[in-house]
Amino acid sequence: MQFDYSPVLERMPYLIGGAWLSLQIAFLAFAFGMLLGLGGASVRAYGPRWARRVVGVYVVFFTNTPQLVQIFFIFFALPDAGILLSPYQAVLIGMTLNAGAYLTEIQRAGFESVRLPELEAAETLGFSRIQTIRYVILPHIVRVLFPPLSNQYILMTLGTSMAAVFGVEELTGRAYNINSETFRSIEVFSVAAVLYIVITLIATLSLAFVGKRFFRAKMRWF
Amino acid sequence: MKQIRNTIRRTLLVAGSLALGSALMGLPAVSSARTLDEIVASKKLVIGVNPTLPPLGIFNDKNEIDGFDVDIARKLGELLGVKTEIVQVGSPDRIPFVSSGKIDAVLGAMTITAERQKVIDFTVPLHTEVLGVLTTKAKPYKDWMELNDPAVRLVEVRGATPVKLVQEKLPKAQLLLLDNYPDAVRAIAQGRADAMIDVMDFMTEHTAKHKVDWRIVDAPIEVYFCGIGVQKGNDALREKLSAAVKEMHKSGYVDERWKKWFGGPMLHDPRTAPTYK
Repeated sequence: MQFDYSPVLERMPYLIGGAWLSLQIAFLAFAFGMLLGLGGASVRAYGPRWARRVVGVYVVFFTNTPQLVQIFFIFFALPDAGILLSPYQAVLIGMTLNAGAYLTEIQRAGFESVRLPELEAAETLGFSRIQTIRYVILPHIVRVLFPPLSNQYILMTLGTSMAAVFGVEELTGRAYNINSETFRSIEVFSVAAVLYIVITLIATLSLAFVGKRFFRAKMRWF
Repeated sequence: MKQIRNTIRRTLLVAGSLALGSALMGLPAVSSARTLDEIVASKKLVIGVNPTLPPLGIFNDKNEIDGFDVDIARKLGELLGVKTEIVQVGSPDRIPFVSSGKIDAVLGAMTITAERQKVIDFTVPLHTEVLGVLTTKAKPYKDWMELNDPAVRLVEVRGATPVKLVQEKLPKAQLLLLDNYPDAVRAIAQGRADAMIDVMDFMTEHTAKHKVDWRIVDAPIEVYFCGIGVQKGNDALREKLSAAVKEMHKSGYVDERWKKWFGGPMLHDPRTAPTYK
């Protein structure tokens, strides 16, 4: 068995472009998912009963079906209802909804870790509900939640590979394309794997930096 | 003592395998195929069918090879007055099977090409494969080169042969790559893409599943003529099979079987080939 990396190395700019797209999708889906999760967790912790139920159904649905199936539904089933999304939009929306469900659960755990005396103190000081969330609850939970959120982010970065199924030419999609031209499977996918390690490391390092700098969060890795 | 015995045993083993190996190497690599007379005398025609190309060859519920090619193979035996034996072949080994005389003839989208004609002989064309444009009635395209336009959204199957053609000849068009034929055809049905380039004969199976006014662009990109392959120089058999193929075209058997398996008529008449004499 002889390895020949030259056909892959010639196409490195193309592959790196795909890796950049993977990072971009993961970042956007995570950012939107965080907002969605924040809303979901707030409702689940403090909202009226019916709203808690609605969020509960959403979480159960999205955490108990595969992400691939969810995106497939958005991509191929919605057009029959007259909603035609581009592959990029479908993947982004699918990943956001999926992340939102997980992040709702993660953030809810954070909300529940806030101790009652803190809330009582806020009430005594005359904070409104919004102010309580903003100044008391959020700073507290961010520190607790930083490690699980980081893990979720890494998982999402790797999860972007399924975008290839829907014709988004991110890292995996481009690796498939090169493979079908060159038939150098081992070489193509070993290079793609290394690129995935690189982008997850970039994500981990930047998260660790943000965590340490702004939230004094401790992160352990390796 | 034990060590010596082991050494002797190992030496004998190596010597034995070497002897066997050289004996096998010494065998003629190509044995002569059976002549027409031998086939008739044995009352059996052995035909290779490739089951990886549905609906030409396909495994049925009973896990037996079935399909258009099997129907044709059985009819060939009938016309020659012998029984047909189906042998499973694959894309890479179907030509060696014929050229080494393991089977009498081979079916399975055997496109007649100059390269293959150096190794095996072909009967007159049995069927055609049309590389064309699949689109809908709503789209105006009359020729495939019109697709070279930034406004055109093409869909292709990742890894399929036409992808290269599209990238080279239609670089301006937008290209969406999906993983399989059902998804690609659905993308056109749902309005996600405008057109697709592939072997049109193999599309009917997928297009039939959508309520869309499908259209195949009249001017095909390329037509492949497919015949039956026999061993080089086995002229009596080739002529007999050619006559049988012509008979099947004349009686309408080929058309009828094609319609049954492909869900529509053959898109290009194989009798238009210059080699059809």
